[in-house]
Amino acid sequence: MKEISKKTKIVALLIVAVIVIGMIITFTIGLNFDLRYQEAKSMELYLQKEFETADMKQITDEMLPNQAVMIQKVEMFEDTVRILAKEITEEQKNNIVNKVNEKYGIELKTETIQISNIPHTRGRDIVKPYLLPFGIATIMILAYIAIRYYRLGMWKILAKTVVLLGIAQLTLLSIMAIARIPIGRVTIPLVLAVYVLSLIGITTYLEKKLKEKREKEEK
Amino acid sequence: MKKIKILTITLLIIAVTMIAFWGVYTKEQNRMKNQIKGYETAMDLKGSRTIRLKVNTENKTVIKDAEGKEVEEENLTDEQIVEKGYVKEDIPNNSEEVKNADYYKKSKEVIEKRLAKMEVTNYIIKLDEVTGDIVIELTENDKTDQVIANLYQAGKFEIVDSETKEVLMTNQDIKQAKVMYGSGNGTTKGTSVYLEIEFNQDGRKKLEEISNQYTKIEEPATENTEEIPEETTEETTEENTAETVTEKKITMNIDDSEIMSTSFDTPVRTGKLQLSFGGASTDLETLQGNINQASSIATVLDSENMPVKYDLDTNQYILSDLTGNEIQIAFYAILAIVILAMLVLMIRYKIKGILGVISYIGFISFFLIVVRYTNVVIAMEGIFGMLLILVLNYILVSQLLAKEKKVTVVYKDFFIKMIPIIIMVIAFCFIKWISISSFGMTMLWGIALMLSYNFIITNSLLKIEAGKEK
Repeated sequence: MKEISKKTKIVALLIVAVIVIGMIITFTIGLNFDLRYQEAKSMELYLQKEFETADMKQITDEMLPNQAVMIQKVEMFEDTVRILAKEITEEQKNNIVNKVNEKYGIELKTETIQISNIPHTRGRDIVKPYLLPFGIATIMILAYIAIRYYRLGMWKILAKTVVLLGIAQLTLLSIMAIARIPIGRVTIPLVLAVYVLSLIGITTYLEKKLKEKREKEEK
Repeated sequence: MKKIKILTITLLIIAVTMIAFWGVYTKEQNRMKNQIKGYETAMDLKGSRTIRLKVNTENKTVIKDAEGKEVEEENLTDEQIVEKGYVKEDIPNNSEEVKNADYYKKSKEVIEKRLAKMEVTNYIIKLDEVTGDIVIELTENDKTDQVIANLYQAGKFEIVDSETKEVLMTNQDIKQAKVMYGSGNGTTKGTSVYLEIEFNQDGRKKLEEISNQYTKIEEPATENTEEIPEETTEETTEENTAETVTEKKITMNIDDSEIMSTSFDTPVRTGKLQLSFGGASTDLETLQGNINQASSIATVLDSENMPVKYDLDTNQYILSDLTGNEIQIAFYAILAIVILAMLVLMIRYKIKGILGVISYIGFISFFLIVVRYTNVVIAMEGIFGMLLILVLNYILVSQLLAKEKKVTVVYKDFFIKMIPIIIMVIAFCFIKWISISSFGMTMLWGIALMLSYNFIITNSLLKIEAGKEK
């Protein structure tokens, strides 16, 4: 039986530990979602003139401390700002309005500005559009691998490929769960990048094995 | 000669780089305009149309008879209502029964079905299970307004008896609805637009019965009565009554608005109804209008009716939260990594390394032009796809510079490893979801360019440098 090196054992143990811890965190605390996917509060201010997002950020940093805030320009004239934060109290709203009035020399009335609730996006709704494409691509890739590397033992190679692709993705998600990296705009690109890199790794390994097998057979 | 050739290729690369990064400006109406096509960006980078649908809280007035049954008669005056013993009642558009999480979720599912049917390629949907509010972020384009209009329509479909208002068929009987086209008949030229409603098994039977019952009979019913024996008169009278009923029509309603009223010339056994939208036309604008109208109804009918009545509360275009500053930071970070990688090439391979760097810069420039002219929509996934291509191209250039193997062997080894990725990106190119197709398209064009560009440019530069070409 092939002996597994100490280094490989350590790496494998490390990966298993990361996945287990990641899964525990996911099922207990849950994943950390980006503000755009979280339940949040929003308010809109009609400034009647174009503004710099950085200036608005300065105001919100002061009035909504210690929380992620998203600032967006609204409509084509970009003269309205939408402030999105996990929590905005009436007092915070009033303070922001007063500060904005002061900064831009306008007279917005606090009572006319409403705080709206933005519901959260379900994780499954984020993932759903990607399941079919990944499924189709994986099946096609597995079919190619089965044909090209059948000499290495078709079922064994297929099982290894599926397991490795799965482990790579689970490791990424576990790291995100442990490090509390928000699930957001870059999550799917990261998943895709890891998928591509693991495919390159698998093909490089299989090509090497195939070459060795051919050389062995030639001898 | 060797120097001239290298210089020519270098100048060409510099020219392409300038075009890719700065553009080509010409004077147009006293303004300088870049003639190079801009990038098409997706909603995560550009912005999105954001709408909020709120559960309708209004009431509607209905007239009920003494037994409490809803009366369909229209335009009744208050006096007539009193005379007939009817009563007016205000009832909510959404009963208390439907104001719960289950019905809100069902409404969200219907909206998702409609978005899929209308081939909306990128959206985010959020549901507040307590209030029922639904917030949707959609890609902004020419169709957005039409899409929004179709999203919250109730979609209640009914075929009713024109006189008695008895409901004969409902949404439950529909299998699917689609838009079809046909050429005009002998007298009218052009294209006709049809809405084809296909019914399910039950609906097919009902439609056949209805079309049999409502078929026009030219022969007057009274002519037969004389020949009928006395003992069967009662039965025949019923039959005759049925025949005389053929003048009755069915009315097709969508959301309680009458779409058409008709009777059938022949029994419909196919389980399909074709409704013509506008006449045959050759005018593109008219045709597009007819298609839009038919598509809207097809979308609504094909996705069940909304169990909860919603109103459009807000409808705004909201720009991406990614600011120019953040994009600049990301750009400089990538640039720093690229410069570092270039330095590594130059230090490691000296003169060949410099040529590799020139070639690599040219590749980036060509790539940026290709993604613009191939109409690739750039989403965040597309940007990652582009970065991956830059990494892969760096590996390929490094291998070519290393010259440990023959160029053909380097290519063969490299692209054999790329086959699974090529399979993946080809599959992704056919997916309509913009994030996936953006990744697929950028990667596919990147791989194609990598193969051709390095074969022509990098290879030529290295050959010239090695003195194989004089």
